[in-house]
Amino acid sequence: MSAAAPLLAVAALDVSYGESKVLFDIALDVAERQVVTCVGRNGAGKTTLLKTIAGFVKPSTGRIDANGKSLLGLPAYEIARQGVKYIPQDKKVFSDLTVRENLELGSYATRDYDWDQVIAYFPKLTQLMDRKAGHLSGGERQMLMIGRAILGRPKLLLIDEPTEGLAPSIVEQLKEVFKDLCRRAALVIVEQNLPLVCAISDKVYALREGRIVAELAGRDRLTPRVCEQYV
Amino acid sequence: MIGALKWWAGPLLAFALLAALRLLLPLAFVIEVLIFSIYTIGCSFLLGRVGFISFGQPAYLAVGAYGTGFYLFYFGTNPYLGLLIGLVSGFVFALAVGPLFVRLRSDYFALVNLALAVIIFYLMQKVLADVTKGDNGLWFLTNIGSTPGLDIARPEGFFVFSLLVGLAVWAFYKYVNDSVFGACCLASKLNEDKLKFLGYGNFGIRLMAFVLANTTSALAGSMYAIYLGFVSPEITSPARAADPVVVTILGGTGSLYGPIIGTLAYTGMKDAISKLVGNWELAIGFLLVFIMLAGEKGIWGTLEPRLQRALSRVKARVAR
Amino acid sequence: MDTQLFLSGVIFGLSIGSIFFLMAIGLSLCFGLMRVISLDQLLYYSIGAYITYSLSLALGSVWLGVLGGMIMGGLASFAVERFIFRRIYERDVTFSMITTFGILIGGVGIIKSIWGLVPRPVPVPISTQIDIAGTAVPAYRLIVIVVAIAVYGAIWLFLNRTIVGKAIRAGIEDVEHVEGLGINVYRLFTITFIIAGVLSGLAGGLHAPLIMVDPVMGLEVLAFVFMVVIIGGLGSIKGTLVSAFLVGQVVSLGSLVYAPLAQMAPFAIMLLILLLKPTGLYGSPLLKR
Repeated sequence: MSAAAPLLAVAALDVSYGESKVLFDIALDVAERQVVTCVGRNGAGKTTLLKTIAGFVKPSTGRIDANGKSLLGLPAYEIARQGVKYIPQDKKVFSDLTVRENLELGSYATRDYDWDQVIAYFPKLTQLMDRKAGHLSGGERQMLMIGRAILGRPKLLLIDEPTEGLAPSIVEQLKEVFKDLCRRAALVIVEQNLPLVCAISDKVYALREGRIVAELAGRDRLTPRVCEQYV
Repeated sequence: MIGALKWWAGPLLAFALLAALRLLLPLAFVIEVLIFSIYTIGCSFLLGRVGFISFGQPAYLAVGAYGTGFYLFYFGTNPYLGLLIGLVSGFVFALAVGPLFVRLRSDYFALVNLALAVIIFYLMQKVLADVTKGDNGLWFLTNIGSTPGLDIARPEGFFVFSLLVGLAVWAFYKYVNDSVFGACCLASKLNEDKLKFLGYGNFGIRLMAFVLANTTSALAGSMYAIYLGFVSPEITSPARAADPVVVTILGGTGSLYGPIIGTLAYTGMKDAISKLVGNWELAIGFLLVFIMLAGEKGIWGTLEPRLQRALSRVKARVAR
Repeated sequence: MDTQLFLSGVIFGLSIGSIFFLMAIGLSLCFGLMRVISLDQLLYYSIGAYITYSLSLALGSVWLGVLGGMIMGGLASFAVERFIFRRIYERDVTFSMITTFGILIGGVGIIKSIWGLVPRPVPVPISTQIDIAGTAVPAYRLIVIVVAIAVYGAIWLFLNRTIVGKAIRAGIEDVEHVEGLGINVYRLFTITFIIAGVLSGLAGGLHAPLIMVDPVMGLEVLAFVFMVVIIGGLGSIKGTLVSAFLVGQVVSLGSLVYAPLAQMAPFAIMLLILLLKPTGLYGSPLLKR
């Protein structure tokens, strides 16, 4: 494995749901500590892409390597154990469990957890520790879901529409978290909020109808106006 | 004319084969197969077309049987009229409980139906013991008068009658499967929401399917009553609740001829195995598991494509 | 109705309810976590009873027999999970219902070929009668009730105080999210099946001295146990306890009022509850998949 090998490399990936094909010949790579964003309309296949990397959807062909090792065929929990964690869009925390129990499950597999980091990012969670997660607001749930995922010191976070439906102040807070988080882990984010995308990303992939139509990098190209053209 | 002949060819062939079976096997066996097939086709239709699995078919069987039984025991002697009464009581009963049941999710549906069978069992065995004579059952074999024309009071006559009824039932289900209603049923199994968009009410379709299937079961119950000349609570025993489901799966869910094949296999195995080793559950149970794991196509589901291939090969040879 | 009759009726109902509870809890967990209806648990109940019968004959101790029954129940459940359920988790509920029914009747066939068709008696290990408010109550029935309550407590502690238990609770809400956290959900499934099998074996073993052990005993309680699970709400532990005791009392006290009612009334209650609240008393409407 060469030093330049990317953290995550996806090549020639095709995914189908039954008869209908949803992803065509996807290729992307993510380097260590890089923030990569996928933009595109609803139905472009962004969520499917994340789920496929996380192992919840089995691709028909293609390669997915993390740290030079193939993730294909591994069960989703094994992929998560290797430090590739998926944070779904539905903001579904385990509502019958307390916030503390939710977080504990985040470190279930590794037993090595970064409790202080979670508190540093989301100080609000400390006051909510013993509350049932079902009673949290949307923003608090998103904090809990991200907190739950970073607790086990992941290498790569796959975050699906993190700011959808959240108040602007919370979006601002998440933005700061993402900016800092990339010092510890690489991020692949699916996001619709283009100003936010451009503020945090090193690289943007635009998806349209299951294909990558553009790869944007560099300060000058990463503006909402440029991104807009591909969405 | 040719089209009609072609359409009828399947059912006619199936029942001609069943009639021919009479030459090889005892009458009682063939009649049992005929009635049980009719009993099962409703269950097969519900499971294969609507996605409802019913562990409560004995309830509807019993309603038909007791409807006929009460008439023949207390009121009259005409078996045809008795059969009609059984059929109507099954229809009315299914129509009464249907609206409550078809709203349920398929797993609850199965269990609630089972509960219904248990309730009917205790109703007949204990609560209504004054009229049903409890476990002794109603015996009315001598009450059944002979009828002009086809005399179904005699086993031979009943055999011919069952063949005709079976043929009619199968033609009817073949017609239903081909109809818009049949397509809607299948759609309601596969995708409830889309069906609603097409403007078909899910509730109405499920209710119709439910009533249709359970009236057929009641018909089988009536036929048992007349053939055996008695009815007892044993007919709705919870221990037999799964019989039609097992037969359905054995034969191949939702296929038209699956129930006949399944019944033949089930009844045959029950007879053969209980003679050999005295416990047929072992074989049936593991066969069931095997069929499910092997892709749940059942005997007919596995045979049918092969038969069709063979048929087309024969046709090609004839053409040459 | 005099108090003595009433009190012994209540105790009888509680002990029957305890057996129902032990059976139903495993089924309820299996449904909650894996979304399967595991009719084969009824087989482990019969196995538990038969092992209790054989071991109590061989070793002279019913308690050792019950222990053996639990172990066998757990092993059988483990094996079936490994070889059969692993292949059918992706399928819908009716699929598991039919497949496990096959296992159940196949297993009944095995039991028949090992132990024969004749019902077998198991002696009551404690024949002491305890006097409660002037009524003689068999101590064994009280023990059965205590065991059920202890099991409820243990399950509660397991689910609320251990990390595996918490993962199971989380999985009842959403299995995919649990897997996404890096938790091997298949191991959770196996653990749950073993727990269910052990408890089914325990239920069979404890029930054996109160009834005659016969090959179709599992089929006889099947309807009652499912009724308990449904009334309580599939997937709810507390609901299962409440509804088990409720059904036990209806069976027991109902028979004091009018015997035929005892068998029928619970089913009528179930129909009523389902039609009013299709998810059962404590069932969560949130359950998806």
